[in-house]
Amino acid sequence: MRYSTKTQILSGSAIVAAGLLFSGAAMAQNVSIAFSASELGATAYNPVAASTLNTATSLIYDRLVEQDADQSYHPHLATSWEETADGMAWTFSLLEGVTFHDDTPFNAAAVQSWIASYAGTENEYLVEAIGSVDVIDDLTVRFNMDRPEPNLLYNLASAFMGIPSPTAFAELGDNFGVTAAVGTGPYELQSFEIGLETVLVRNEDYTWGSDLSENTGPGHIETFTFREIPDQSTAFLELRTGGIDLLLGVPTDFLQILEAEANIQIIQMPGVGISYMPINVTAPPFDNILVRQATGMAIDQEGIVAAIYNGVGAPAHNFLISSLPEANVDPALNVTYNPARARELLEEAGWVMGNDGVRVMGDERLTVRLYTANTTELTRLTQVVQAQLGEIGMEAIITVFDSSTIRDEYRNNTHQLAVRSYDWNNSDILDWFFSGNRLGYPNVSMWQDEEGQRLNDIAMTESSTSAERIANFTAYHEYVLSQHLFVPIYQPTQNIAFNSDAITVPDPVRGSRFRGQSFMDIQIVE
Amino acid sequence: MILRYTFLRLLMLIPVSFSISVVIFMIVYLLPGDPIDNLLRVGSSPEDRAELVAQYGLDRNLVIQYFVWIGNMFQGEFGQAIVLRRPVADLVAQNLPYSLTLGGLAFLFSSTVGMTLGTISAVVRHPVLDRFMRGFILLGSTVPGFWLALLLILFFSVNLGWFPVSGAGGWTSLVLPVLTIGFGGVALVARVTRVALLDAQREDFVTLLHAKGLSSGTILFRHLMPHALLPVVTILALRIGWILGGAVTVEFVFGRPGLGSLLIRALGQRDYPVVQACLLMLALAVMLGTLIGDVAQASMDPRIREKKS
Repeated sequence: MRYSTKTQILSGSAIVAAGLLFSGAAMAQNVSIAFSASELGATAYNPVAASTLNTATSLIYDRLVEQDADQSYHPHLATSWEETADGMAWTFSLLEGVTFHDDTPFNAAAVQSWIASYAGTENEYLVEAIGSVDVIDDLTVRFNMDRPEPNLLYNLASAFMGIPSPTAFAELGDNFGVTAAVGTGPYELQSFEIGLETVLVRNEDYTWGSDLSENTGPGHIETFTFREIPDQSTAFLELRTGGIDLLLGVPTDFLQILEAEANIQIIQMPGVGISYMPINVTAPPFDNILVRQATGMAIDQEGIVAAIYNGVGAPAHNFLISSLPEANVDPALNVTYNPARARELLEEAGWVMGNDGVRVMGDERLTVRLYTANTTELTRLTQVVQAQLGEIGMEAIITVFDSSTIRDEYRNNTHQLAVRSYDWNNSDILDWFFSGNRLGYPNVSMWQDEEGQRLNDIAMTESSTSAERIANFTAYHEYVLSQHLFVPIYQPTQNIAFNSDAITVPDPVRGSRFRGQSFMDIQIVE
Repeated sequence: MILRYTFLRLLMLIPVSFSISVVIFMIVYLLPGDPIDNLLRVGSSPEDRAELVAQYGLDRNLVIQYFVWIGNMFQGEFGQAIVLRRPVADLVAQNLPYSLTLGGLAFLFSSTVGMTLGTISAVVRHPVLDRFMRGFILLGSTVPGFWLALLLILFFSVNLGWFPVSGAGGWTSLVLPVLTIGFGGVALVARVTRVALLDAQREDFVTLLHAKGLSSGTILFRHLMPHALLPVVTILALRIGWILGGAVTVEFVFGRPGLGSLLIRALGQRDYPVVQACLLMLALAVMLGTLIGDVAQASMDPRIREKKS
């Protein structure tokens, strides 16, 4: 009898404990996410002033407009907008009933104050064309432009144009985004441990999601825990073992292994960046355009995609991602693999093949410095590039730097070639990397050219309409390509993996990146 | 006597601390890279740069900068992180507990397990055990922490599912990092204990103790161990600082916060105040460890305190 009683008590306790555990799990409704490697290191959730933001930012702040994967723009906090025929004014109607997390109202005055807050910040360029903002009424604002800006909607859809509470922004000053971050988004910042994790908790009042999400609010998940896991292998193992539910930015190396896992599903989205090799045009022998052209023809983009990336992603033949209309340049200008022609060009430039397979000109050997940053993917790519340059008789000596030091090397103009990458899905990236105003970094090619700057200025500031902007940037892009300032190499895909036993993720993913709109539709598997 | 010795050792720490503080202060100026470049907007004018440099006091004479810095350090003022934009004291306070917990547990693990294995290996003179111990010690001294961490994750987390792969939540997340850091220490402490005990066993007084009819256990624990502990204590004391600083790669693999990962992050961003504060904390830990080791040695062996004082 005693035994039976004890057994009953133990069994009862076990059932209660199990019940508590399960109810706890159901109540907790937490989804853990690991940031991608490129998102690590954000120091503040301040879209106005920060130079690095991560995906969690898009859940704290809403934007006036959203951009879909097909580059179309959708209303969000702005329900509609109108541009004058001359492009010198934009009028936005704002959504009614929206409040910030601190219960202050979102209205025209908040938009006016928010645009003004960009003055003097790293992100000021986003609102550079806006001369002033008029409050027409509580829910209508007009942007008076200093010049037409066909790129305005793209800028407004950027993560750097999340709208913070003007009250909290003024009160917290430099601490905004560090100690607290207040937006109108579907999730509120609960805790932020720099370099470790960010916990977001559901905004129960949220009902104003954009049409890029099926669920317009509140979110299905109570809390999202975003973790910074610096080692990609560790992040990958966390997903395999259920330590995290979603991994943003899966390295291509891991795709095959993850595909073999029954409970892991992978979403591949078009990439938003390029891996490329800038050429320093001020450093001999690359001050000779023939040598630069030959260098471009030595790189086998298709071979690299097949050998290093297992066929995932696409070869890059010019500087822009292929989904941008400005990437459709004259095919003759695209950089393609042609080692035979590369050898001819080097001969033309006076570099003849030496006895040891390295070209020479007099006593000088064709030995060049090839820099890269200390990430596994870039280092591996650089080694392949080194081997391919060797095929045409160019000996490249690789030096690997940390990300801070390599920028110093660029600024000090010690480099000749470098392998690097960028993430940006707008043609204004051409201005960023090739404007003569930014020599060293980001203009790693050290290119300063009168005609180039003229085309840049036209594209950046003199386009009145979207079509005109495309034409102007295409012309600028073509001129940049004709000068052989870089070698495009690879267009990666965005790879997201999730544990399908734990969560469901919207399919297809809307938006150009996996961010706030997709998180709204994530649900726990029952 | 021991108090006087401790006092003298503390006095000696003053010039050592001064030298270390100068080295730490200067080392960041010798590094390539500049935190101001990380803060400056791209395309900023030289005037913008000069303004930012002045804002952080980097335009002043180096000697003045040093004395301002060391004066602030004495008052516990670590300053403001340039890139991370927080009080450095907050960053250190946030990370130090993680390092202390991990380092403390790894220290405890390596000292207890190392001494136990070293003692067993010295006492049980079996050729198979001896070879095993030699192999273990060799492995422990040479296996890189980074690789061992991955092996442990694969076996205990992925295959067995016993412990989380990474993170800093709860005691289970500490097990694998402690094993990783502690493994090298176990081997080192075991080796030193073993050699010290074997040396002690060859001393004349041990023969005398055996002749007096004392049991092997009594000889080992009452007479040999105190004798053999001297080098072990020295090694353990030196490892206090090493364990705090040596956890960098382990913190990276296990995605744990801590002084090491803060230091690496700050180095990458050339955030001078944070780098200086982290290096200072680690240097203090090494000095403190050495002091504890010296005092412990002196308290156990009067010859040392007489010779050194």
